[in-house]
Amino acid sequence: MNREREPIFSAKNMRLLLGPLNRDNPVAVQILGICSVLAVTAKLRPAFVMAVSVVAVAALASLIMSALRKTIPSRIRIIVQLVVIAFLVIIVDQILKAYVYEVSKQLSVFVGLIITNCIIMGRVEAFALGNKPWPSLLDGLGNGLGYGVILIVVGFFRELLGAGELWGRQVIPDSFYEAGYMNNGLMLLPPMALIIVGVIIWIQRSFNKDVVDK
Amino acid sequence: MNRNSNTYIVVYATAMVVIVALALSFASLALRDRQQANIENEMKRAILRSIGIEAQGGMAAVDALYARYIVGSFAVDARGEVVEGANAFELLANLRAVYALPPDERELPVFVSRDGQGVERYIIPLWGSGLWGPIWGYLALESDWKTVSGAVFYHQGETPGLGAEIAESWFGDRFAGKTIFRDGQFVSVSVEKRRGTEPPGPHSVDAITGGTITAFAVGRMIRESLQGYLPFIQLQKENE
Amino acid sequence: MENIFNIFIKSIFVDNMVFAYFFGMCSYIAVSKSVKTAMGLGVTVTFVMVTTVSLNWLLTRYLLNPGALAWMGGEFAAVDLSFLSFIVFIAVMASFVQIAEMAVEKFSPALYNSLGIFLPLIAVHCAIMGGSLFMQERAYENIGEAATFAFGSGIGWWLAIIMMAAIREKLKYSNIPRPLRGAGITFIITGLAGMAFMSFLGIQM
Repeated sequence: MNREREPIFSAKNMRLLLGPLNRDNPVAVQILGICSVLAVTAKLRPAFVMAVSVVAVAALASLIMSALRKTIPSRIRIIVQLVVIAFLVIIVDQILKAYVYEVSKQLSVFVGLIITNCIIMGRVEAFALGNKPWPSLLDGLGNGLGYGVILIVVGFFRELLGAGELWGRQVIPDSFYEAGYMNNGLMLLPPMALIIVGVIIWIQRSFNKDVVDK
Repeated sequence: MNRNSNTYIVVYATAMVVIVALALSFASLALRDRQQANIENEMKRAILRSIGIEAQGGMAAVDALYARYIVGSFAVDARGEVVEGANAFELLANLRAVYALPPDERELPVFVSRDGQGVERYIIPLWGSGLWGPIWGYLALESDWKTVSGAVFYHQGETPGLGAEIAESWFGDRFAGKTIFRDGQFVSVSVEKRRGTEPPGPHSVDAITGGTITAFAVGRMIRESLQGYLPFIQLQKENE
Repeated sequence: MENIFNIFIKSIFVDNMVFAYFFGMCSYIAVSKSVKTAMGLGVTVTFVMVTTVSLNWLLTRYLLNPGALAWMGGEFAAVDLSFLSFIVFIAVMASFVQIAEMAVEKFSPALYNSLGIFLPLIAVHCAIMGGSLFMQERAYENIGEAATFAFGSGIGWWLAIIMMAAIREKLKYSNIPRPLRGAGITFIITGLAGMAFMSFLGIQM
C-alpha cells in the first residue's frame, strides 16, 4: 500500500478488481466454484446473503494468506489455507445464525460449503501466495464479486419467473395473472439453475469471442 | 530461519491451531446468546401459529405476542402427573431426545394459552417421522381436552410440492374442529384417503394428493404423540 | 432395515448430489470428458465419501454435538463444540484424500496420471464436504444410516459423472453453436438430466 510507488487504484489494480466481473469471470470463464452454492439461488435474498458471504471470505482469505505468505512453510501450505478459510467461514456462519437467522436456515449446510469453494482456494493458491496484501485483497474481492454477480443474476431470474416476486415482494401485477399469466414453478427447481448458468455462459462468450472453447 | 525445518513447522502449526481455537471460542461465546434467542423465537412463533396467531415482524413482536397469549407451561409424565420443576421450553428444544427415551420415562411439555375472551387452550408438541426424515408440529386442544382447535406441522425434507405441503396452513386448518375422543374412547384424528364426495367425519381429515405417505405419517405422529399424554388427559376429564 | 433402504434410494436418485445440490461441479465439469477417467474419479469419491462421512459421524456423536463429551465425565457434559465442526470435517477429508491418493498412485499409476490435479482436489470436493454436513444436519441415528447415506450419495455422483462423460464423448460429433461449446452445453445437459431425475421425486416405497 505504498502511494509513491503505485497508486492504490492504479490501472493494474483496477483490472484485478474488475476483470473477474466480466472477461475473467470465475464462474462463466474459469468454471470454478459452481459447486453447491447454486442451490441457494431459488430466491434473491438467500442468493444475496450467500454472495456477500463469499465476497467477504474470498477477500479476507486472500488478504490473510498474502500477509502470511512469507512465514508459511510450503509443506503444510494447503493445510494452512484450509484452516484459514474454514476459520473465516465459521465466523461468517456464526454471524449469520445470530443476525439473519431466517436466511441462515434457508442457506442451511451451504454456508459450510464455502470452505470447499474452488474460487477461494484457487485464488489464494494462484495469486495471494505470490503477491502483496493490497493487490491480493482486490483480487479476492474481484473474484468474490464476479461470483456473487452470477448468483444474484440467477436468483433474480429464478425468483421473478418462478414466484413472480423479488426479495419476497410480489412484482408481477395481479392484472397479469388475471390475463392468464402463470408463474413457472419449474424455475424454482434445481435443474433450472444449471440451465440459466449455461445460458449466461453462452451470452457472455458470444461477446468475448477469445474465450470460446475450440 | 529455515521455513521447512521440522521444528518450524511444528511450532507454526501449533501456534495456528491455538490462535484459531481461541478466536473461534470467543466468537462462539459472544454470539451464542443471540443464536439461542433466535431458536427460541422460532419455537414461540410456531406455538403461536397453532392457536391461529401469525406473528408478523421481528423478534420483539413475537416475544410480546407470546407473553400476551401463552400464560403457562408444564410437563407431564407417563403416569399423567405434572412433573415438579420441569422446564417445558427446554424439553421442547430437545424434543428429539425426549422421544428417543422409552415411553414411561418421557417428560412431555404442554403449553397453555389464553386469548382475549379468557378461553384457555392446551398446546401439545408433536414429534414423528415422515417419508424421508423427521416431521414435527403443534396441536392445540380446547379446554375440554378433546376438540382440536388448530394444528401446524413442520418437516425437514419431505418432497417439495407433495409431502412438503403438510407445512402449509391449509393442511393444518383441516384439523380444526375435529375431536380425538369417540364415546370416551381415544381415537385420535386420522388422515385418510377416501373416495366419493362425502366430507370427512369428525375423527379424520383428507390426505394430500400425491403426498399420501407424508400425510399418513402426520396422522400416525398425532396418534403416537398424544398417546403419551393420554394418562394426563384422562385425569383431567375425570376431574371435570 | 426399511429405513436404511429408504435412505439408500433417496440419496442416489432423489437427493442426487449433482442434480439436486450441484455438489462437486468443478471436477464434474472438468473430468467428464472421458468415461474411463470419470469411472476412476467416481470410485475414489465414493470411497472417500463413505470413510469420511462415517468417521465424521463418530466425531459428531462423541466430540462435537452439544453434550457429546459426557462420556469423559459429568463436568464435560455442558461443553458444546459444534462450532468447530467445519474445521474438523475438512481436516478428516484432507487426511483421507491423502490416503486415497497414495493408494491410487501405488495400485493404478495410469489412473493417477489421468486424474492429475483433481485427485488432491478431492480434499476440497464439495460432494464430500456436503455429505458430512448433511449427515450432521439430518442427525442420522446410527453409523449404519450415515454410511448408507454416504454410499448412496457416492454412487449417485458416480452415476452422474459417468452419464455426463458418455454424453460428452458423443457430443464431439455434434454441431453446437460456438459460444455454447464446452462448459455452456455441459451445464444445459446437466440441467436437462436433472429434470429427468426429478421424476424420481414421486417415488414411494
